[in-house]
Amino acid sequence: MATAVPHCPPKQDLPPPGGYKKIPFARVPPKSYFTGFTTIGTYVVVTAVGLGIYYLTAKKVKRDEIEMRSAQNVIFPILVAERDREFLRQLRRNRDEEAELMKNVPGWEVGTWYGEPVFKTLPEDTLVTPIFKEFYAHSDWKSYAKRAHLKLWS
Amino acid sequence: MVITNNTTLPEESELNVQELNLSSAALRAGAFHLGKQCEQANNEFMLCRQELDDPRACLAEGKAVTSCALDFFRKVKKTCHEEFTQYATCLDKSSGTMAFSHCRKTQGVFDKCIKDNFDWDRPSYGYFSRAKVIQSAREAPKKEEKVSYPDATPGLPEDYPKPPAKYGSRFHWLE
Repeated sequence: MATAVPHCPPKQDLPPPGGYKKIPFARVPPKSYFTGFTTIGTYVVVTAVGLGIYYLTAKKVKRDEIEMRSAQNVIFPILVAERDREFLRQLRRNRDEEAELMKNVPGWEVGTWYGEPVFKTLPEDTLVTPIFKEFYAHSDWKSYAKRAHLKLWS
Repeated sequence: MVITNNTTLPEESELNVQELNLSSAALRAGAFHLGKQCEQANNEFMLCRQELDDPRACLAEGKAVTSCALDFFRKVKKTCHEEFTQYATCLDKSSGTMAFSHCRKTQGVFDKCIKDNFDWDRPSYGYFSRAKVIQSAREAPKKEEKVSYPDATPGLPEDYPKPPAKYGSRFHWLE
């Protein structure tokens, strides 16, 4: 051996003085605010109260609906009576208009196809409600559209 | 059009009556008292309309309905105009559907005025939704008779033998 090895203390990986910290292997449960029984009890109470309020509200809503229906039942005959009169007036206007329009066509009879009736099996003098486009056939487009698209505007 | 020259249509003069020139809110506001006062006319008209299903046949009843309503609103206008207008305005402005539940206060004022002046009570909320049997002087239309055909297939005689099914039923619970 030619060179002398200087003396230095050996460095070794050792535990810190006092030893390692203990490994926390125990379960740490989160803090519990309620017990199971409290939770279930709260649920039952809240549901019961909610259902009670729902019942009362449903009763009120039902009552309001019936009240509204009653009021509408009263107004309905008034509106129908007025509508019937205007409807019959318009039918006469339409018939006159058709007679005026087709007066130069030989053999044309109002409400029929050259004398051939639309409905053959119906008894004489039955009032058939014309279809919508027929009813508005002689009116301008604006009144037709106003009625046809009423739902889009209301 | 389906209306021919043979179809009877009423003359213009038969249809001309004074119409009710009122808004929905006013009709709604007066509905309950109006319904009670014009119950007879309304029922008669609706019964006629339902049974005969012909607008020409119920013109007189319809005119009675309109004139009764006109009469009612004239009376209300003469006595409770303020209260009525207030109630109708409340109904109009409080909700989109003109619901009654928002306007109980103005309704109470209007009802009180009606009660004081005419001694009319407001009918209960479901009065006009109830099913009723209406007595009418008009005769009911005849029911359509059952058609019997002479050459209809004759049925089996009563005592024809009916033996049990040979292979039982498809379902065990029908056995």
